[in-house]
Parts: sequence; C-alpha cells; structure tokens
Amino acid sequence: MILIRGRGDSETEIPLGRDPEAAAEATEHLAETLSTLSRREGGLGRGESPLEVCEPSLLAAPASGGAPRLLTPVERRAFREASWPPLSAFDREFYLALARRRVAEALSSPVEVLVSLSREEERVERGLLRERGATEQFLTGDLPSLEAFRARWSVLRQTLTEHHDRLVEELEARARAVAPNLSTVVGPRVAARLVARAGGLGALARMSSSRLQLLGSRRRPGPGRSPRFGVLYRAEGMESVPPDRQGAYARSLAALAVIAARMDLAPRPGAVSSLMRRRSRRVTSLNAGRR
Amino acid sequence: MWTRSVAHPLPLFGERVLRRPEATYRYFEPGRAKLAAAVVRGHLEPIPLAGERWLYLGAAGGTTASYVADLVGPEGAVYAIEKSPRPFVRLLSVAERCPNLLPILTDARRPQESLGLVPPVDGLYADVAQPDQVDIVLAQAAEFLKSGGSLLLALKTASMGRDRTPEEHARRARELLRPTFGTAPPLSLDPFHRRHYLIAGRAREGAFANEPEERQGAIPRPSSGRAPGRRRFHRGLAERYAARDPR
Repeated sequence: MILIRGRGDSETEIPLGRDPEAAAEATEHLAETLSTLSRREGGLGRGESPLEVCEPSLLAAPASGGAPRLLTPVERRAFREASWPPLSAFDREFYLALARRRVAEALSSPVEVLVSLSREEERVERGLLRERGATEQFLTGDLPSLEAFRARWSVLRQTLTEHHDRLVEELEARARAVAPNLSTVVGPRVAARLVARAGGLGALARMSSSRLQLLGSRRRPGPGRSPRFGVLYRAEGMESVPPDRQGAYARSLAALAVIAARMDLAPRPGAVSSLMRRRSRRVTSLNAGRR
Repeated sequence: MWTRSVAHPLPLFGERVLRRPEATYRYFEPGRAKLAAAVVRGHLEPIPLAGERWLYLGAAGGTTASYVADLVGPEGAVYAIEKSPRPFVRLLSVAERCPNLLPILTDARRPQESLGLVPPVDGLYADVAQPDQVDIVLAQAAEFLKSGGSLLLALKTASMGRDRTPEEHARRARELLRPTFGTAPPLSLDPFHRRHYLIAGRAREGAFANEPEERQGAIPRPSSGRAPGRRRFHRGLAERYAARDPR
C-alpha cells in the first residue's frame, strides 16, 4: 500500500495487489499523479524535477503540523537502508511488467516507429540481396536434384519480396508523415535511413552536413580516402549525375538535407520548394560542367 | 574463466556453455565483458560477490550485466539501468531468463526517477560512455550506494572528449573519485578493449553523510567542447525557426 499525503488533508491510496501488471500500471499512474501534484500545488518541496516513483515515507509527516516536506537525501538513505524488504518473485514480475510498459511507451512515438520500420526494411533488403547473389552462384549447374530446391526457394524469395514491398510502402508513407521536407529532398527511403542512423530527427538536425554525408558509411575518410559511400549515396538524384561528380552532388545534397531536417523539426508549408530549386540547379550545373 | 549460471534457458546470447552435473557454466569472455577483461588484467577486488546487490548503470544489451548477475548468485540481485529503448529490448529478453536481473528503463543522469525501484546496493558498476560519467556515478552513489560499497567504473575514454589523451582522462577520473572512494590507479583493459580503463574503489565511511541540499533537477548535459558560437547555433534551432514562423 502506498499512501500519499499532499498539502492540506487530501490523501490518495493506491493499493498494489498481487498482480504485477496492475502494479506496474499503478506505478506509472502514481508517477503521473505525483508530477501533476507537484506542478499544481507549486511543488511538493525543493528540487525541480518531480519524483517519478515514490516510497511511502518520502513525504515526512510534519512533527508540529507544518507543511509536509521531502526527505533530504541523507534521510532517504537512512530510511532506505533501514527498511528495504528482500527480493520476492512478485517483485521480479513487477519489474519486468514495468519495463515492458515503459519500452512499449518509448517505442510508440512516430519517429521510433519509423526507425524500427527502416531497420527492418534494411535487414530484409540485405537478406534478399545476399540471397540473390548466393543462389546465382549455386544454381549455375543443371542437375535435376536442384529443381525441387529451386522451386521451393523461388516461393520463399517471392514471399520475402512481397514482404519487402509492403514494408517499403509503409516506410515511405511514414517517412513522408514524419519528415516531409527531408523525404522530398532525398527521397523517403533514404530519409528514413538517415533518421534511423542518426537516432532521431532532433539528432539528425543537430548534425553538420559533413557528418550527415558519412552516416551509414562503414569506413572513415582519411588521408587516402574521400568521404563517400554513406546512406546518401542511394538518394534519388544520384543516377542523374555523372559518376565522377557524384561526390560533389552528395556534398550539396547533404547540406540541403540538413536544412530540410531542421525544417522538419519546425515545419512551415511551402518552404521546401526553395531547396528543391537549389537541388535541380545543382544537378544541371553538374551535368553541364562535364563534357 | 567461467561463471556459474543462474540464467535458464541457455545460452543467452550465443556464449559458450559448459554443462556439468553439479551446475551449468557460461564462458566469461574478456573480449565481450569488460569485467572479465579487468580480471584477466589482474583486477581482484572489489568484485561482485555472492548475495550482494549491485546497481549496473548503462546495461545496454545485458551481456556484462548477465555475468554480474551470475557472480552475485541467486541470493543477490542486479538492478540494470539503461536509457535507450532499443538495447533495452534485448536487455529485457535477457532479464526474462535471468531471475536476479531486474531491468529499469530510466536515465542514469536522474537517480530520482528510480527512487522506489533501486534499494541500497552493495556495489555500483558503471559503463555509461558519457563525458560526465564521474558526475553521474557520484550522484547515483550518493543516492543508492551503501557506505563501504564497491565501485567499478569502466571508462571509455573515447567518449570523454578529444582534448585529452586516454591516460589523462583515466587519471583525471581517478582523481575526481579519489576523495569519495579511495580509488586505485586506473587499469588498462588493453588488448581486449582498447582505450578503456577500469577504475575501482570502495566508498569511504561517511562519504555521503553530509548532503543537505537536494540536487536541483537532473545533471546538466555537458556541452560538446566546440566554440560556443556553433553550439549555441545548434541549440537554438527550435527557437530560431519558431521565431521565424509566428504560429
């Protein structure tokens, strides 16, 4: 049983029964209650951030009828050392249930869903490419024993390809929803991969363009190696640029992509058209500069 | 080096398993677990002992945390804290098979978020790879570590900034922790984990006895060490675009 005494005489009782799921839900509800309480009544005491999970006597009952106050850290340590019960099976279930709730909540935001989806799509695509290469090496002979294998494998490959196509559809839709400007500039698939590699739209927007150009490259540029082969190399405009100018195009595209990512954090409609005009001008200049 | 496993069913993440009639053992690989690398390099104490409670900061995928759980045995417990949800999913699957490993999804920078979830602990293992690791460790120890409790800090010097060499980072961390913990000289984990050091110590009696002031809010995130103009430029993104777009 956890008892909260707020200012005044209001008490809230949240009974923790024997069900770990209910206990986890009650804990999260308690955290919300405490934070609203602390915000509403001007705080429960000193300290800026509200307590997320409360121990029973963290709010010391006042000795002489004054307002309740938070325990100091020293008092907290003393209380905790004096009275922490040993771990029981119920506690373990409670911790696991709480962890599952928190993870589900953390991974449910649209950006996180996009990141999960893009990672899954990358995995399936890598599997398909690897498989295609392997079976091409394997199936050069014409032995009759390979016919059955080939038939089964083609079914599997078809299923995987359909799954991949569906993933790509959903991924592109979500990328356009989450980061519309970025997906206009570099294409939705590359946009999703950039967000996934950066670890979020905010992290992507904080990067410099040189770092964005290198996202997803397996080798670091050095004295003998130019900064190439990041995720940006798979962007939409790359085919329309001659191969020896693709590095320059990646550089300008990275700069435009960073601006687009920052626009996605604070969106304003119609702002991306200026970026698109700059992009097309760069493509024409790169195509015209080489003869 | 093998640990007696408390987890079931095995293996947890593809480690080598040795099944004997009296117990099942898991291979404690120095290349995967920094604690194993430290033991191979000669670290003896403090180390998780049977029956203790340990707080593990930065548990990530749960590989090293599972070995700490093995070391403290079925009577002990490991409270594993990890901030990032994706590795936490793997940690959760490890914890489901390991009865004394308890996963907690919170930020180690804010110990007040896990107040009701973490008991007074006999030892603190930190592997968070943040530039302000020392502050995080001090805050968590002030909240949860018993007097005389052990401290093991795995220092990833590559995450602490490019302005100092790894040895300087390690020495500086040791000096910062020395008054509270009496830390030993940093132990290099070469060749298993390059540019990593282990800093070990024991909390002095009464080290946390006088902290009357409540810590105001979370530990502030450190600045990147670049020229302040550029950092403020990046920081002010939201304000700048909001100012330009009055809606």
